[in-house]
Amino acid sequence: MRKTTRLKRILGVFVLSVMAALPVTPAGAAQEVPYDTYNYNYWEDVVRTPAAYTPEGSVSGTDVGTTAFKEPRDFCISAEGEIYVADTGNNRIVVLDSQMKKVNRIIDTFTVDGEEDRFSAPYGVCVSENGELFVADSNNARVVVLTPQGEYKRVVKEPKSEILEDDFAFIPIKVTVDYADRIYVISKGAFEGILVFEADGTFSGYFGTIEVKISVWEKFWRRFASKEERSNTQLYIPTEFTGIDVDSEGFIYASNIDSEGKQAVRRLNPQGKDVIQKGENKNVGGDIRYSNYGDYNGPSEIVDVVYRNKGMYSLLDRKRGRIFTYDKEGNLLYIFGGIGLQDGTFQTPVAIEQNGEEIIVLDAGRNVIMKFRETNYGSLINDAVGLRYNGDEKQAIDKWNEVLRLDENNELANNGIGKAYLTAGDNENAMHYFELGMNKEYYSIAYKRYRNKILADNLGWIMTGVIALIAAGIVFKKIKRRKKGIVREEGLL
Amino acid sequence: MKNLLSKDKWKYALHTVSHPADGFYEIRHRDRGSVVVAVIFVILFSVAWSVNRISAGFIVNDIDPREVNSISELITVLLFFFLLCVSNWSITCLMDGKGRLKDIVIAIGYSTLPATVCILIGTVFSRFVSEDEAAFYTMICGIGIAYTLFMMLVGIMTVHNFTLGKTIITLFLTIIALLLIVFIVLLIVDLINQVYSFLYSIYQELLFRA
Repeated sequence: MRKTTRLKRILGVFVLSVMAALPVTPAGAAQEVPYDTYNYNYWEDVVRTPAAYTPEGSVSGTDVGTTAFKEPRDFCISAEGEIYVADTGNNRIVVLDSQMKKVNRIIDTFTVDGEEDRFSAPYGVCVSENGELFVADSNNARVVVLTPQGEYKRVVKEPKSEILEDDFAFIPIKVTVDYADRIYVISKGAFEGILVFEADGTFSGYFGTIEVKISVWEKFWRRFASKEERSNTQLYIPTEFTGIDVDSEGFIYASNIDSEGKQAVRRLNPQGKDVIQKGENKNVGGDIRYSNYGDYNGPSEIVDVVYRNKGMYSLLDRKRGRIFTYDKEGNLLYIFGGIGLQDGTFQTPVAIEQNGEEIIVLDAGRNVIMKFRETNYGSLINDAVGLRYNGDEKQAIDKWNEVLRLDENNELANNGIGKAYLTAGDNENAMHYFELGMNKEYYSIAYKRYRNKILADNLGWIMTGVIALIAAGIVFKKIKRRKKGIVREEGLL
Repeated sequence: MKNLLSKDKWKYALHTVSHPADGFYEIRHRDRGSVVVAVIFVILFSVAWSVNRISAGFIVNDIDPREVNSISELITVLLFFFLLCVSNWSITCLMDGKGRLKDIVIAIGYSTLPATVCILIGTVFSRFVSEDEAAFYTMICGIGIAYTLFMMLVGIMTVHNFTLGKTIITLFLTIIALLLIVFIVLLIVDLINQVYSFLYSIYQELLFRA
């Protein structure tokens, strides 16, 4: 009897302690997020990672004190930090403060020569460095330029040029401006590239045309196809650009939907040449592994790109709602986001921007701006990549070590540490980390230095050994010959 | 058994590697080869293959070590070896080949020896190379495999008393026969599976109704 009560008591204590321990999660544990967070390793397999960004709520039109947004298509952030939302369905531009707490002003009319004018489905919006507002007024086939005070300055009308086709229709959907106030416009159905206008609005030509690739196999089949068959097959037209951004050096980042999922973003230099680096996997097209059938099949469909800082940029995928972040070398840093009905997932993501530490995404299905805040894991990677971009590899080593503590097999972190050791001259450690990071090129550099050092240090021993071996060989041969000679002499006798 | 593993058999296997044409002739006509030694060589080849995949140097090794299963690789290699011998035998039987199944087994088994040795040497060597020296590793392994293929060709040719042209045709047909065998085996397995599931569902039906 007594024994059972004691047993019960022990059991009770045990149960209590377990229950007490349950709600306590270890510090730094992965937060629950409504989407998958993963990355691809050397073998291009999916590897689960901690979340780099977690959802931080959303902002709707009514939240900031105006009517609800209606299919907003684009937004951008000015130098002062104000957020300009192209509220396409309501034919207006809504300007929010940087905290996204209230509306600063709403631009829906402007006066041209004393007459009031309005937007019609303003699809894209951009603010230049000196505060001028550029609106891609799609249904009116023009780009409207307003002064920082909201007054009418200029319109960029449908371009007239011999290089344009006769049936060319100017439907501007995205617009951006570089440091020289050159205007870059993506027009719907303009497969030849981005339309570039000078600051005064004159058309100067196409920019960054995507070349059409025809495989040998397709050429082979076209040879056998009849004229009718040929006209029935899909036309080989390049894909359209979907989003543009300008980086700190004035290079244009332009995203497009790549049907092969290999390259969904271009970094265009002033000549319009693509100078993007594609990283280890030779892929800047979003998901590397995807299903070819069922729901959400096929490669990612990148609809917007944002240049963040220190060479990093993020791509927004509308198919699976993922946000892919790459560094300057084209290495995939982290992936987060998803399509769904839960809080923190998208319905129709259309545009992405960075607002301070937050990443904000415009959702045309939910009519809200979604906010994502960086986690410890995300900020460590951002910091480490930033330090490496500045050439501060030694300082980055601490950050990378922290990343490894959260994500043991992170190849980027291992490579980062390896590179720091390599510059410090510690070849053995560098080799170890490059092997973990599957970086054969740098491993070879470290290994060659390591091997040369061993050879140089032990040259004396090695040379002595070689000479001793040669000497031993000569002596051995002589002895053998002498013995043979004796035998021969004996035989003679 | 003892006779099949005698010192003479081992020595003769090495002699065959250095003198393939003579060696295989004597194997066919004077019974100097040993099936047991041949199978051991194939097992050694499989071991060397797995060792290479697991522990070749980082520079030349693209394989995720977690994906290597040396037991299943051994079974695969032995199965493939067996299939190759049987299909070659069935083809050469129809084409007036003089070789017995035993001779084919020995010819193919002995031929694997150069590949085994070179792969092992290459594996050791690969641990001391940088990226631009990796070509030497490829060369070492390549020489071994090329010599193995050469020996196989000579072996098949000699034991069946074929001309070179006929041997090549036979080898091509052998591959087709191999695929046919695999196809038929798969077909039978599938059939058995269906019969089994049919009987099992009858059994379950009876169980539920009873």
